[in-house]
Amino acid sequence: MVKTRNLSSGREVSGGFAAVRAWSRRHAFSLLSSLGTIARHPLASLMTFGVLAFALALPLALHVALTNVERLGQHWERLDTLSVFLHTDVGEEDVDRISSRLSTWTQILAVDPISPQQGMSELSQQLGLLDAENLLTENPLPWVLEITPAVGFQRDTLLARLEAEAAVSTVIVDLQWLERLDAMTEVLSRLVSLLAVLLALGVAVIIGNTIRLDIQNRSEEIEVMALVGATPAFIRRPFLYMGLWYGLIGGVLAWLLVAAALLALDEPFRALSRTYAESAGLLHPGQDILALVVGGSGLFGLIGSWLVVGQHLRRIDP
Amino acid sequence: MISFEHVAKRYPGGVQALSDVTFRVNGGEMVFITGHSGAGKSTLLKLIALLERPSRGQVLFDGRNVGKLARRQIPYLRRRIGVIFQDHRLLSDKRVFDNVALPLMIAGLPFAEIQRRVRAALDKVGLLDKEKLYPPMLSGGEQQRVGIARAIIGRPPVVLADEPTGNLDPGLSAEIMNYFLRLNETGVTVLIASHDLELIRSLRRRVLVLAHGQIIDDRPARARRDSAAGQGPLEPDQGALW
Ligand SMILES: Nc1ncnc2c1ncn2[C@@H]1O[C@H](COP(=O)(O)OP(=O)(O)OP(=O)(O)O)[C@@H](O)[C@H]1O
Ligand SMILES: [Mg+2]
Repeated sequence: MVKTRNLSSGREVSGGFAAVRAWSRRHAFSLLSSLGTIARHPLASLMTFGVLAFALALPLALHVALTNVERLGQHWERLDTLSVFLHTDVGEEDVDRISSRLSTWTQILAVDPISPQQGMSELSQQLGLLDAENLLTENPLPWVLEITPAVGFQRDTLLARLEAEAAVSTVIVDLQWLERLDAMTEVLSRLVSLLAVLLALGVAVIIGNTIRLDIQNRSEEIEVMALVGATPAFIRRPFLYMGLWYGLIGGVLAWLLVAAALLALDEPFRALSRTYAESAGLLHPGQDILALVVGGSGLFGLIGSWLVVGQHLRRIDP
Repeated sequence: MISFEHVAKRYPGGVQALSDVTFRVNGGEMVFITGHSGAGKSTLLKLIALLERPSRGQVLFDGRNVGKLARRQIPYLRRRIGVIFQDHRLLSDKRVFDNVALPLMIAGLPFAEIQRRVRAALDKVGLLDKEKLYPPMLSGGEQQRVGIARAIIGRPPVVLADEPTGNLDPGLSAEIMNYFLRLNETGVTVLIASHDLELIRSLRRRVLVLAHGQIIDDRPARARRDSAAGQGPLEPDQGALW
């Protein structure tokens, strides 16, 4: 009898190295067993993955949309100019004279005159009217001075001075909506952060609940494992791995969903940006964001399953 | 090795399964426990492996009071006791191979060794060709034998068997009992709960008789069994397996 005992215990705990090997083998067993559980119930697992992927794709998609809107906004800031419409009877020489005079003002950085012909072709391009120029026998557009104000200009005084000019018909300023856009993206990015926090908790809850059902289905197995001498840590481990898998795979699927959406939107977006004389495609989420989504969802999956498994092992108490 | 001192067990439902049980089993002994249905046989075995806790008295294993064992010590106690359950307790969604391998997986043995030992154990109980099947595909007797293979695979110093031959035909019963005898010959302490009085009598080992939660008889082993009768000598590799 003494001989038998030495045989088995000698193999299990002879020295630190062997103990580490046994430990890693036990981990490998738990890991495989968790993957096996997922593979054995493909439909249930798929549905869980789907729920997780949609939940995670939502904030990720919003984030991507926001970064793209912000970049478009940077293009729009080039429109941060004043359009000074001159009277229609002002001719080219007058325009030259006025522009050179205005460019000496300290509040003005640059003056860019746009002829009625230029204005017409730009307009027809933007509106998609190819031959507007040819259709109209007479060009109704006046000369326009595109004015880029100097940094730190006083909008109201500059406006007043421009409007006081005899040749000037109207001055169009469209700056307020840019400020609004800025404020709006600020609100949206807050929303994305909030949503991310909520859905991270959601991921923990979804995964926790999935693991809870799994534990219930396998309470017999848990009991048998305990009966043949498994430690609580050993029993808990496959479930923890499963939470991690659910989180990681859900995160990756969310990324794939967003990537597919971006692919579908890419061509229309290019068409849109061509109207700004740009041909950049959509911005994709950065690697740091992807790592955050996938890693974070893995972590929250782990946390969710940890809480549930701890609870249930205490309740089953074999 | 194992001793009960005035042990009583009352289940939550109010059933008094054991009322005042005192006995001792030495290391290397083989003991049968018999008695009517509901006498408390299964309860007695469960108290040893700490599958239940006694309501009163002490159960000592290797001189230590198992009732006082810290929770995290329990798994290590159970690894030193191979239990064959009356209701098999196999995992129905795991193959026979994995069921038998479970104690070794828990111990973290290398897979090659697990494979070798599981095959050898299944061979012993005559189920080598069924290793890829799932327990529900097996007959009651076959499931019983899978349970036996799982109980002995970890080479525990003590084996507790609850009706290990309950579902077996007489020929197979005798064969399984022979395994237990050989196991005992290698020094393993064996406790077997059984109804099969005739078989028990023929083996001439110590018998504890339970009735209504009390030991009413403790019949010592009779003269050593004539080992030449009925069975051949031990083959070397069999000795190594057990
Ligand atoms: N988990 C339990 N909860 C409540 N009562 C129980 C429990 N297990 C057993 N009992 C009761 O304890 C008594 C003894 O049961 P036990 O299983 O020890 O008998 P046994 O001798 O093994 O019987 P059998 O030969 O039928 O297996 C029975 O009256 C039974 O109803
Ligand atoms: Mg019983």
